[in-house]
Amino acid sequence: MPTLAELATVVRSKNAGPLMLSFDLMFPDRATFERALAAGSLSATRIAELYGVPPAQVAVVPYPVAHAIKIALPRLIVAGSPGDRDVYGAQQHAPLLGLEL
Amino acid sequence: MSAVARLLARRPARLRILSASGQLGYGIPAEAFAEGVRRGPDFIGADMGSVDPGPAFLGSGEIATSPQATRRDLALVLQAARAIDVPLIIGTAGTAGAAPHLETTLALLREIACEHGLRFRMASIRADLPRERVRRALAAGELRALGAHLPVTDADLDACTHLVGQMGCEPFERALALEPDVIVAGRACDTAIFASIPKRLGFNMAHVMHLSKIIECTSVCCEPGGRDAMLADLDHEGFVIESMNPNRRATPLSVAAHSLYEQADPTRFTEPDGTLYVTGARYEAVDARRTRVSSATWEPAAQTTLKVEGAARVGHRAVLLCATVDPGFIRRIEQTLAEVEAITRSMVEGAYRLYPRLYGLDAARLSPRGEVGTPREVFVLVEVIADEAALALAAAKTFKQYFLHHGFPGRQCTGGNVAFPFTPPELAAGEAWRFAVYHVMPAPDAPALFPVTVEGVGG
Repeated sequence: MPTLAELATVVRSKNAGPLMLSFDLMFPDRATFERALAAGSLSATRIAELYGVPPAQVAVVPYPVAHAIKIALPRLIVAGSPGDRDVYGAQQHAPLLGLEL
Repeated sequence: MSAVARLLARRPARLRILSASGQLGYGIPAEAFAEGVRRGPDFIGADMGSVDPGPAFLGSGEIATSPQATRRDLALVLQAARAIDVPLIIGTAGTAGAAPHLETTLALLREIACEHGLRFRMASIRADLPRERVRRALAAGELRALGAHLPVTDADLDACTHLVGQMGCEPFERALALEPDVIVAGRACDTAIFASIPKRLGFNMAHVMHLSKIIECTSVCCEPGGRDAMLADLDHEGFVIESMNPNRRATPLSVAAHSLYEQADPTRFTEPDGTLYVTGARYEAVDARRTRVSSATWEPAAQTTLKVEGAARVGHRAVLLCATVDPGFIRRIEQTLAEVEAITRSMVEGAYRLYPRLYGLDAARLSPRGEVGTPREVFVLVEVIADEAALALAAAKTFKQYFLHHGFPGRQCTGGNVAFPFTPPELAAGEAWRFAVYHVMPAPDAPALFPVTVEGVGG
């Protein structure tokens, strides 16, 4: 099965404020977007496992007008606090790349 | 007559708004900005700050951008606005928008005015919240962390060097009433920079807020995205946006997709003055480079809410930088780190925290580590945090030496375990900060929290 990295045009992460991480998955067309939505691999439960947060704190929001899916979840460490590893949150997308759709 | 007074008196049926920068101070692309100025905008706006760079700037009062580039960008927008005599609005002055950031920005503008013989009226809006006001909200259970959990106590509030509120349109409207040429605001919503004038002129707030949300990042909403100035042409039915760099296209898809950027929810945006819903928005291509946007909806807030940001000092930071290529050392590196930390603590007394990061072994990852194997090379960064700079550096120095020479079973690299890129490999990295407050609170008293003053500059 193809992976998210193979099907998406954009897979990015960024802080949504210092307490949240947000991910944008953008697809080239409506059909691919719908295929990604239908695949179970982008469920809140699966994402929660990958990022080590409770499923109830993961939001997966389809945004059809841009053939996109938004994911938001809490950061395990507040951006910029001692011990942080990614102040802008711009490099947290890698665990998603291999998800099979 | 000031630029603001003339624009408000003219009451244009169409308003052209030029967004010069989403983060003034890193270098505004001059060519696209000049094109935007040639189009004859009714006013120029620029955002100068963000929480993105982290708590250090709000905490310390310093600005993230270099004095040299900041001065260049401020001179660029100020001279342009004065040359065509239109209002200039700058929001979140000096990165974080607290008093020292605002003062630094105002001082630079005064210097530039003096140097270039410019005369104008400048309004400034402070965004510093009285500690007592935030303390009252905390006591009343009215401080709600934004998006996730961030517990806050009175002690946290006391520890904040600066506490700011993010202003909406209201303080800008009070500034407009003072008829300035230039408005410089402390911490402000990016949207308020662009929305306050059209709001005052009676344009539809759904269009106004949607437009502001898109152009505050300049050409990021384009294909390909970039930092070039962006022009919005607003009428009473909607607006058209266009990048001032001819190579960037604002397409219906690229503009719609911009709603995703740095937001937890792409369909609605909560601002102090209300909530913007973009689910029903229409995006239509005018041509290959321009998109017309309409049909978002706006719900005014029943009660003003304010985002509150505060940064507290957590101590001093020292860092150790080195790399290793030895497979045996890499295989047990985590155990070695723990052993060397124990040795360091036995040698250097005092309270300090050590945060090692192993680049090549998922160091940048915030989530649980994946399967990595044994990479050919691993970069080691050790962060040390202590109350005193000397103690942080002392721990880093001892850690460095024992890490270099640590023995382990089967060790072959007895000359040293790591490579240092330069000397000294342990560096004092200044004060360390944290966001102690990132909350929202109801603020029916918002107008009293953002005082506006006006001054004559030059001449």
